[in-house]
Amino acid sequence: MPPEIRRAFLFCGAALVVGAVVWASIFDALPPADFSLQSGTDAKTLDPARATGNIEGRLLDALFEGLLRTLPDGPVDPETGVQPQTPQPAMAESYEVSEDGRTYTFHLRRDARWSNGDPVTSHDFRWSWLRLLHPESASEYAFHLHALPYAEEYNLAKVETGDRVEVELWTRPGESAAEQGNVQPFPRGDLVYGVLKQILKPEEPKFPEGLAEEAQERLRGEWIEKWVYEVETRLENADGSIDWETPGELRRFTQSYATARRDDGVERVHHVLVAFDRLGALETPDDHTFVVNLENPVPYFPHVVAFYSLYPVHRGCVEDHGSPQWTQPGAIVSNGPYVLQLRRLRDRLRLVKNENYWNAEVTGFEVVDFLSVESETTAMNMYETDQIQWVTAPPTALLEELRSREDFIRAPQLSVYFYRLNTTRPPLDDVRVRRAIAMAIDRTEIVEEVTKGGQLPSFSAVPPGLAGYKKATGLTYDVEEARRLLSEAGFPNGRGMPKITILYNTSEGHRAIAEVIQQQLRNNLNISVGLQNMEWGTYLDKVFQIDYQMARAGWIADYPDPNTFLDMWVTDGPQNSTGWSNAEYDDLIRRAGLEGDPAKRMELLRQAEEIWIEEMPVIPVYSYTSLNMVKPEVEGFAPSAQDKHPLHLMRYRQPSEED
Amino acid sequence: MQDLASYLLKRLGWMLLTLWAVFTLSFVLMRSVPGNPFDGERAVAPAIRRQLEARYNMDGTPLEQYRQALGNLVFHGDLGWSMKLEDYSVAQVIAEGFPISASLAIFALVFAVILGVTAGVISAVRRGSVADVGMMSAAVLGIAIPNFVLASLAILLFVFLIPIFPAAGWGTFRQILLPAICLGLPVAAYIARLTRTGMLEVLGRDYVRTAAAKGLSKRTIVLRHALPGALLPVVSYLGPATASVLTGSLVLEKIFALPGMGSHFVNSALQRDFTLSMGMVLTYTVLLFTMNTIVDISYAIIDPRVKMQ
Repeated sequence: MPPEIRRAFLFCGAALVVGAVVWASIFDALPPADFSLQSGTDAKTLDPARATGNIEGRLLDALFEGLLRTLPDGPVDPETGVQPQTPQPAMAESYEVSEDGRTYTFHLRRDARWSNGDPVTSHDFRWSWLRLLHPESASEYAFHLHALPYAEEYNLAKVETGDRVEVELWTRPGESAAEQGNVQPFPRGDLVYGVLKQILKPEEPKFPEGLAEEAQERLRGEWIEKWVYEVETRLENADGSIDWETPGELRRFTQSYATARRDDGVERVHHVLVAFDRLGALETPDDHTFVVNLENPVPYFPHVVAFYSLYPVHRGCVEDHGSPQWTQPGAIVSNGPYVLQLRRLRDRLRLVKNENYWNAEVTGFEVVDFLSVESETTAMNMYETDQIQWVTAPPTALLEELRSREDFIRAPQLSVYFYRLNTTRPPLDDVRVRRAIAMAIDRTEIVEEVTKGGQLPSFSAVPPGLAGYKKATGLTYDVEEARRLLSEAGFPNGRGMPKITILYNTSEGHRAIAEVIQQQLRNNLNISVGLQNMEWGTYLDKVFQIDYQMARAGWIADYPDPNTFLDMWVTDGPQNSTGWSNAEYDDLIRRAGLEGDPAKRMELLRQAEEIWIEEMPVIPVYSYTSLNMVKPEVEGFAPSAQDKHPLHLMRYRQPSEED
Repeated sequence: MQDLASYLLKRLGWMLLTLWAVFTLSFVLMRSVPGNPFDGERAVAPAIRRQLEARYNMDGTPLEQYRQALGNLVFHGDLGWSMKLEDYSVAQVIAEGFPISASLAIFALVFAVILGVTAGVISAVRRGSVADVGMMSAAVLGIAIPNFVLASLAILLFVFLIPIFPAAGWGTFRQILLPAICLGLPVAAYIARLTRTGMLEVLGRDYVRTAAAKGLSKRTIVLRHALPGALLPVVSYLGPATASVLTGSLVLEKIFALPGMGSHFVNSALQRDFTLSMGMVLTYTVLLFTMNTIVDISYAIIDPRVKMQ
């Protein structure tokens, strides 16, 4: 290579480095926010129908608003230091409940607007709730609406002969006949209504022995896709209702492209679902009245309505941009106190005050930054150097120092930290062994020596602090009784007892607790216990397949009602994962769901909890406390049982008059 | 020039082959570990799970999925939607994170090269002096101390004791300096040692002695004649150094709350975000290949004896 070219290369290289440094030093600096908080990991999504988790909940509470909103109600309880919160009028300015507790009539406020100025109407709610329930939204929280007639069938795509159905034709925007469909939460092709006359099922495939569960499920799914539905159509009346009485023509539908192509008489469609929308669950007599007809009374329904999965989304916005693109800044239209201005992964979400919010005069801060700070220590550093004003997860290692500070805010939380027991395998299939283990664990030691955050020892399924519920007494620490039970079960002084393994997902905190329990079981019962940690994905897999002996888990209430802690343990419930099944328990939970009288309902739930304690399929350990640090100059932040702190009610203290 | 073009073409071919191998291997590995992106604390009903799988093209047999994913990538350049950061496509995640990781890496490397070469040259020229011993001991420490320890010390010093830098975050020039220094220091230490060794070797060569005999100033000899030769090992180290800076930024990203790519690299795998982790693995493959190619080319430019093959 000639020297000139080499020199030219060197110059180019040098210029490149200088250019790179200059490029790297250019920042489009953001103006500082009025208020910043630690948001934790990046939010999974801003779509209310898809979101789960506390971080998403905090964001959605700021961006959107439901018919009702959970707001502080009354003074701080001097005993617990917790400010009560109740669902209060929000998008709905009032509501009535019918005497049988099954019909809720919400009256929407007339000044309710979306951030783009459109009015918020009852149709928005109807459409959003329908979207939440639609199988393609695949919402984890759709079950909140299962109390509506036909909602569960619609949500889980269950249809039977004789059902009144809606058929979604293959006419979604941007899809061709042969190609894969436009699969996303709630796009909609044209709908045809009718009565399902029969389902023509091809022969069910036979699964070879030993085929993996996953592959079996896939084959079953493919088989269901090939079903042909024979539907006698019904016409829509001028007022939008369906004339279910007058029979129409007979049409045949299928989801499978191959089947539709083979047979000209069969049309390819997206879904054949129960016509939930047209069966009277949700009514919109006018733009400002929204009627919800429940199948059974649900005393905690106002709490459900105030939960973020039931928040409305703007139909035009979702349909124009599609999912998930509609959640991007610039596109998203919301109806809460704030609107999204900027979203940068791993950095921040910037929210600015929504001037179109009906109660905008209350909103304290103009610009709020939700910073994606994952490390607890980093968040604390930023708090101490005034970069953020609210730490949502103070570092556990510093709790002892922090707890005496006045900006450290602590409140018992409606939650349980517990160990699932595998009741399908010996030795834990023996109730005596389960009870013995439960009684040999000293929760006080765990709470005082390990977690140290002011957690409360827990002995029952339902944590304390629920109004109107008198919870059952659990199995307290009693080593003598535990030893007696163990020897009764055939393991006197732990002899012959096989080793038990505790499974937990990798985390310092979980390990420390598991180690203490390991110690206690060895000292108290002479049982040898092994520890096994797994990262989250593998851990979940093990738990769902009931392939463990003892596995730790936690549950935080979505709504303040004992049912949320009890209905997860019914036979084959999706969260059960212990193999435990008790017919009497299932029946009590079912009856409680039908009971209209709140006091009787609570009594049924308490009886169920007693059975649960008697059987001990799960060992409760403690109930969490919510820990926050908020700068003293911020007002409007009060400890609450669900760790909810409405952002728009916070503001900086005005300097007092003497200043 | 011809040999440069054919060399680049050959490298490109190898890169594509490597990418395909990496794609296949990652695909197989991701699907063989236990756990699934759609597992959550709440179990998902089979009907709903099938909808989710359809959305992410995971409803076919593994072979169909592989063909589809590879086809989308090759023919449409489409890596799909992230499964855990649902509102983002994989391309968007990379487009947001890459410039930040790149800025950080540029500052760290420039800082490391300037500091490392200066220190290396000084200690080679003043061999055995207090400066030499001091700097080389510091270099050994710099290599040995992991950067998160360094970061904690730096935060203690420059954020709390002498408050000149912000604790964390991204968006201003001051916020990038501390993490860039922490990221660059171990690299600087290594470069200093390499430069010193290279320099000592070159300074003992005949041509350097000739230059000295000609009466050239010591400064000219060191900077013009000895340094280019001494820098060869440093240049070849820059390839792996870039790699370590890009992947090593993960811990610092967490400590300084930086919105770089590093954390996606690990989190996407842990959370079974198949599409995103595939995107990250491929991005890193391309980055490393490119850096190594640049290093090889610059090697040939600095040293006339090296031929590109």
